Amino acid sequence: MYIIIIGGGEIGYYLSKALLDEGHEILVLEKNSARNEFICSELGSICIQGDGCEATTLEAAGTGRADMLIAVTGDDEDNLVACQVAKYKFNVPRTIARIKNPKNEAIFKKLGIDVTVSSTNVILENIEEEVPTHPLTHLLTIRDKGLEIIEIKIPPESATVGKTVKELSLPSESILSLIISEERKPRVPTALTVIQAEDQIIAVTSPESEEALRIALRGA
Amino acid sequence: MKVVIMGCGRVGAQLAALLDSEGHKVAILDTDDYSFQRLPSAFSGTALLGNGTDEDILKRAGIEEADVFVAVTQGDNRNVMAAQIAKHMFNVPKVICRIYDPLRRELYSTLGLEAFSPTTIFAQILKEKIES
Amino acid sequence: MEFHKILVPVIGTEADEEAIRLACGLAKKNKGKIWVVYVIAVKRALPLDAEIESEIRKAEGTLDHIEGIAEEQDYEIDTDLLQAREVGPAIVDEAAEREVDLILMGVTYERRFGQFTLGNVVPYVLKNAPCRVILYHQPIT
Repeated sequence: MYIIIIGGGEIGYYLSKALLDEGHEILVLEKNSARNEFICSELGSICIQGDGCEATTLEAAGTGRADMLIAVTGDDEDNLVACQVAKYKFNVPRTIARIKNPKNEAIFKKLGIDVTVSSTNVILENIEEEVPTHPLTHLLTIRDKGLEIIEIKIPPESATVGKTVKELSLPSESILSLIISEERKPRVPTALTVIQAEDQIIAVTSPESEEALRIALRGA
Repeated sequence: MKVVIMGCGRVGAQLAALLDSEGHKVAILDTDDYSFQRLPSAFSGTALLGNGTDEDILKRAGIEEADVFVAVTQGDNRNVMAAQIAKHMFNVPKVICRIYDPLRRELYSTLGLEAFSPTTIFAQILKEKIES
Repeated sequence: MEFHKILVPVIGTEADEEAIRLACGLAKKNKGKIWVVYVIAVKRALPLDAEIESEIRKAEGTLDHIEGIAEEQDYEIDTDLLQAREVGPAIVDEAAEREVDLILMGVTYERRFGQFTLGNVVPYVLKNAPCRVILYHQPIT
């Protein structure tokens, strides 16, 4: 694939290095000349100096034949504009933007950016996993389908312990896909599977049904 | 009219003063409080410190009830982003933004933003002056 | 100074002709080897292996012409046609790969915005070459 990366900072540099190793054709656009020289001397002629939001620079970069554009500068607004110019002027099929403010995820999605990556959210998700009392952990978001994969732990005092899956009032947009027992034995739940204390349940749900699912599994 | 202006530079401050003196309800945003010195002492609107690409700051400036949003900071991309937030997230009826780069202005005009490029406009005025 | 392996990058200017004559003269003494290389710079809008016919024709013409000049000097040379994104790094890589002990290149007098310029290839080669470099500067006509 031909992938254009906007921003040759630390993230841009290590990202291009990893993608080059996977055999992709990479071009980095970086405003700063010292940074540009550094990348060229480390990774070869894969970096050109220029503003990744300017149509002329993107034209020279051959954006018209790019399969993907990834904007990872330190400014959310620059990443947004680079992706939009790529998408709407050069018809790049897939655009990915790094965002700092997690709230921008919704805005970027509405404005046509295919994928957003927020380091703030990544850290938050890790904190959720690390805090044992947290009732619900977000494991993965399937963005284009609007679904998420979550994990819920069943505490011993939960009202659902001893009930079968059939007896739970699960929201229609949620599916239990895996139950891992305290003895670390995974099983695929059926209607007759009995919920036990300390079960870890992996479920697929829409974000809207998340709260209803939590209540159905753990009691209010 | 309720107007939210982002960027209290010369243009932003002048526009805020004009609208304010005509009795409109103006809120003006800037990331540097020194910029607010450009506002006349008679200015009766709100001057708010903060970044206009941040939803929370825009809400504080009253974007939800605004009739007009104007983005005139020095950064083209900041203007573009704030204007799109105002238009698509808050459904502000009239959104205007400044984009210095003529190519970017062209693109965002086709995407439905009301955008002006001082570069193009001023070059055009100069050309007309020369030819007249 | 003795040279056993010489790389002569060409782009189809008059300076190239003098450069190859010089290279032949320098190599003769030790029966040294001469590689002449023409690097086609491929724009990013095209994939690196794109076949740009007009460029290839020009490159092959130049290499044939240079080969002819070497023949006049009664010297046999190898020619090579490369495609790269940047000419400078391609020349330096080629020099390193073939372990040459000299890069000899012709420079034409060029003005851009009223200023004399060496372009970006020559400075890059001077800065990064793993071996000796001789520049032949064409007199101003």
